[in-house]
Amino acid sequence: MAKTKHYRHNNGAMYLMLTPYVLLLFFFGLLPAILGLLEIPKPSMANANGGWDAFKIVVHDFRFAPAFKHVLGFMAIFVPLMIFFVIGMALMLDIKHSPWKKWLRMAYIVPASISGAVAVLVWYVILQPTLSPIKGALKFFHLTESTQIWQQKNLVYILAIMAFFAVAGNWILIQYGSLQSISQEILEAARVDGCSVFQMAVRIKIPLISKYIIYMSVLVFAGGLQIFVEPQLLNGGIYSGIADAWSFDQLSYNLAFMQGDFGGASALSILLLIPSLLGALLVIFKTDMFEGAQGHIKKKNIEVQGF
Amino acid sequence: MTMSTNGLLKKLRVSKPSGKVRHQHPFSTFAVTTWLVIFAILSLIPMIWLVLAPSKTDKELSYRSPYAFGSFKGYWNAWKHLRYFDNGVIGTWLVNSIWYTAAIVIIATVTASLAGFVISASNVKFKKTFLISTLIMMLVPPVALVIPLFVEMDKVHLVDNPWSVILISSLYPFGAFLAYIYYTTSIPAELYESARLDGCNDFKLFSKIALPLSTPLISLLAFFAFIGNWANYFMPYVMLPSSQHYTLPLGLGFLFLSTPAINPGVGATSVPIYKPEIALAGALIAVPIMIMFLISQKRLIRGMLAGSIKE
Repeated sequence: MAKTKHYRHNNGAMYLMLTPYVLLLFFFGLLPAILGLLEIPKPSMANANGGWDAFKIVVHDFRFAPAFKHVLGFMAIFVPLMIFFVIGMALMLDIKHSPWKKWLRMAYIVPASISGAVAVLVWYVILQPTLSPIKGALKFFHLTESTQIWQQKNLVYILAIMAFFAVAGNWILIQYGSLQSISQEILEAARVDGCSVFQMAVRIKIPLISKYIIYMSVLVFAGGLQIFVEPQLLNGGIYSGIADAWSFDQLSYNLAFMQGDFGGASALSILLLIPSLLGALLVIFKTDMFEGAQGHIKKKNIEVQGF
Repeated sequence: MTMSTNGLLKKLRVSKPSGKVRHQHPFSTFAVTTWLVIFAILSLIPMIWLVLAPSKTDKELSYRSPYAFGSFKGYWNAWKHLRYFDNGVIGTWLVNSIWYTAAIVIIATVTASLAGFVISASNVKFKKTFLISTLIMMLVPPVALVIPLFVEMDKVHLVDNPWSVILISSLYPFGAFLAYIYYTTSIPAELYESARLDGCNDFKLFSKIALPLSTPLISLLAFFAFIGNWANYFMPYVMLPSSQHYTLPLGLGFLFLSTPAINPGVGATSVPIYKPEIALAGALIAVPIMIMFLISQKRLIRGMLAGSIKE
């Protein structure tokens, strides 16, 4: 960190330059969290007497348990699939370096541009046996009618695959990048010592990139918990009623904008914020991912990847 | 092998040295390569469909191969048809998407780079609090606060005003953190010291010393701000209820709802919006992001791993 303590000059200009960001941080980071908390105890249709019962009321809402089940099912597929698949792919890419592999990496990143509303459109077509670009594969699994696929019970799988394709490519590249940070000296030593490719991956590479794996897991978990656009568009724009209040964010949206219950919606938002916050704190304080930011490392000893 | 390598290997409990370098079996190399190629092909399929679909007519989409190219005129026809919808509102959505994203990219990049610079080059108070709160905001998904943000925007009468989305999305903690890391590690403190001795004030320190050395940082910040906001759906969906203020992704969702293209619930309409038209709207959203990703692959990796500081 640049040390300027011995300059006893006025920091006014510095504070002025910092102000725009701090204002944004206050108004759109801290203040909404406070306003959300203040909104919760206000009396509403659902919480006629007001007070902190809003949390209890929202948890006992008849749509909460189904949304919980859906999101839990979705996360149980999406998060492990992401972690194992991404790490596996990154390790495979890392086995042998060939110039043509850059084309593979370019291909992996393409689905990341298909997210949200566009992902809904594209996956509607992919899972439509008459239109699908993978007709052959669908036929192989005897899927010839769209009604066989687009059913409520299949949504956890469909949405998990959609979410997976939208983010997996980016993370494969990022984890491949993290593997590049492992010193060649260590890898060479392991190779000389007779490590197989598998042993090298499990005993050397994965432990050395574990903080990046935790970082990815936290971001993937926090993002998955907030699933909204895909079920909302499927429900409203394609198959009416297939995913009504399917996820927590949809329930929160319905509470606020269909029932005018902003207290209940805020209570749900705050409940959802807790696991994300815990994940963030885990990455910040329990891994050394950002240790430089906490001033533990002397400047002369640090090296930052990428820059 | 150095001592430190030995130590590390011991720590990692590597198997007993055999003294032989093992080579991978040719079959497993072949299997791995085949799988890597298969996944690459799978990754390309959705985009290939999206880009080719508008070249065909709706009928052709049903009976021709999904990988067949129709004609260039098909794109023009699809665009013409989209223009019939609601007096050419698609043009407004496109312009909205461009200007909201441009405003966000500029405000976010400027505020984040200034913040990163100040935290790295000065001794302002509450540095640690600032960094921790930035890290927390960076790791919590922005949509987590959508409802409270709506309540806030409603209080200041900014709902249905594009500035609500622009200002909210301009908070860029990830960018501020990247800028902090960049300035801390790329610009030696001695440079600031000598500039100060030469009479530079703090503004000049940023504009004459830090900024000219920031090209890689600025492009990185602009890249992440662009990809994070061009296709954003939830925030504008909540904040901007009027279709005149929609962005392209919101407009695409609106087309799903109000045309029979992919919604069997909507009866026939006089506006010729079918799958090729919808696919063209989708391609207008996805292709710019794809281009950005392809030309900025390295930026993506650098940015996401820049937080990692190692001894």
